[in-house]
Amino acid sequence: MKLRKVIRWEFRAAIASKQFLITTLLVPAIMAIVGLVIALAGEGSGGPSEPPPPFLIGFFLAVILFVGAFMSGVMAMYAIIKEKQSRVVELMLSSISAWELMAGKIIGLGLAGLVQVTAWCVTLVIGVNLIASFPLSSLTLVHWVTFPLYFILGYLLIASMFAAVGAAIKDVHSGGAIGLIGMIPYLPMISIAAIIENPTMLWLRIAQYFPPFTPSIMMLRIGALPAVTDGQEFVPLWEIATSLVTLALGVFLMMRFASKVFHIGMLMYGKSASFRELWKWGRQKTI
Amino acid sequence: MPTTQSLGVRDVCKSFDAVHAVQGVSFEATPGEILGLLGPNGAGKTTTIRMIMGILRPDDGEIQFSFADSNPSVFRERVGYLPEERGLYNEAKVEDLLVYFAELKGVPRSEARRRAKDWIDRLDLSDWAGKKVDKLSKGMQQKVQFAAAVLHQPDLVILDEPFSGLDPVHQDLIKAFIHELRRDGMTILLSSHQMNRVEELCNRIFLIHRGKRVLYGDLMEIKESFGDHNVQLRFEGNSDSIRSMAGVSELSLQDGRADFVLKRGYDPADFVRDLPEGLRIRALHVDRPPLHDIFVKTIGGGTHEAA
Repeated sequence: MKLRKVIRWEFRAAIASKQFLITTLLVPAIMAIVGLVIALAGEGSGGPSEPPPPFLIGFFLAVILFVGAFMSGVMAMYAIIKEKQSRVVELMLSSISAWELMAGKIIGLGLAGLVQVTAWCVTLVIGVNLIASFPLSSLTLVHWVTFPLYFILGYLLIASMFAAVGAAIKDVHSGGAIGLIGMIPYLPMISIAAIIENPTMLWLRIAQYFPPFTPSIMMLRIGALPAVTDGQEFVPLWEIATSLVTLALGVFLMMRFASKVFHIGMLMYGKSASFRELWKWGRQKTI
Repeated sequence: MPTTQSLGVRDVCKSFDAVHAVQGVSFEATPGEILGLLGPNGAGKTTTIRMIMGILRPDDGEIQFSFADSNPSVFRERVGYLPEERGLYNEAKVEDLLVYFAELKGVPRSEARRRAKDWIDRLDLSDWAGKKVDKLSKGMQQKVQFAAAVLHQPDLVILDEPFSGLDPVHQDLIKAFIHELRRDGMTILLSSHQMNRVEELCNRIFLIHRGKRVLYGDLMEIKESFGDHNVQLRFEGNSDSIRSMAGVSELSLQDGRADFVLKRGYDPADFVRDLPEGLRIRALHVDRPPLHDIFVKTIGGGTHEAA
């Protein structure tokens, strides 16, 4: 299976890069410093530190998973721009299809992203437990099942969007407006406070089915809801199931679109694509 | 005309928006031959190559291989490609990279590693096998790319400017490898702007201009159809005796050096016999017009179909 070989190659290349080492170590380091400050502040105020509200761990997990997907997505974009600039792509496309190459890159980097996120989560859990004993048991089965699913699908969606951008632009400096496409999934994060406070708002329950918004809204809702309703109620399971299905569909369509832009964009050196060209490339027939 | 073709390109067309890059191109190639794929920049050469390699899909026409069906995932394993735009994964180690490329062509890992080591030895890169690609000089990277194109022992290999950036020693090395591959029965398409290299290596040539075939056939026949023998003569003695020779035209004379063309029908053997006595010959070279001239003449002027 060619795809597996590409995944293995990209995974190894990602793990071996300095970028990966730095981000894997840097995030826990920042978390440790923040944790230390909080711990010291808590001591300063005298009495024993208040246990953090129970929704916090879910919320932090959502944010961490999301930052991970963002970083891996950016890594995928860089990897593709680099591939284009090193012009190895012509040799690659004479051996495998654009779909295999792109899916291999996204999944390979995704596995590397998972390793990274796992490291962060372990650090977080250990760190939180140092400040205040915070039993993992406050995470329910719903969290354990849905967060990884939203992460993986969200990752694939974001990475394919970044991959399409990477394939369409000339270099990292000429992203322009197209680079903003990669920011769409983060728009719900603007109203993060509102989501946590009132996770059953109507607009959220509609927007959650729009694939780019699904991972962030759902992870925040699922993270926050038990807190608001005192652990008695969750996001309805049918909403979770439906949002996962629409998200998976979105991933499929985005990957197909991205691999076409990738195929055509890769062979046009020295030129950044316009939105109109992107749309045209996405519908064009390729091999 | 070849009887056992391994590659058949028939009436292939490809347009990009309003640009008709390739318009109804046809040619064939047989095992054990080196076909020269020539054309000026922007003639449609790269587009043609990409269609053969399965990177682009022709708008019209078909491309057939005798060694594999036309499903890209099948024939991609049987073709090799040295693209003109060179590029490798800079962070990877040389040997690992060759193994990876061979694996993508369907060679099992252990066999791929054995062949990678073998080619690294043959290309004199043993000291660099474990080094990262970006530590290599341009010429060395080029050798790695050559190995990547042929490591999986394809039936058809396309070499686009295989000599550019190589010193003369390594040019000869690559040339020897190309001859060896041809002897092993590989079909080789050689694209180059170095006409002398094409003359040395190719049996037949295909010349494309503005997306159309302008010249196709046996190299010697094409040269003959382009006519008269060119002569370069270096001599000591009286140049008047040359000027007075009957079959000589387009003569240019300067200090002991005469370049001219033999008139049509004037056999080189007769010419040698007719050389004036008392002329001391330092060097004598008689040949059909060089491919360089044919190329320039064809591209600059009208079209010409040979053979």
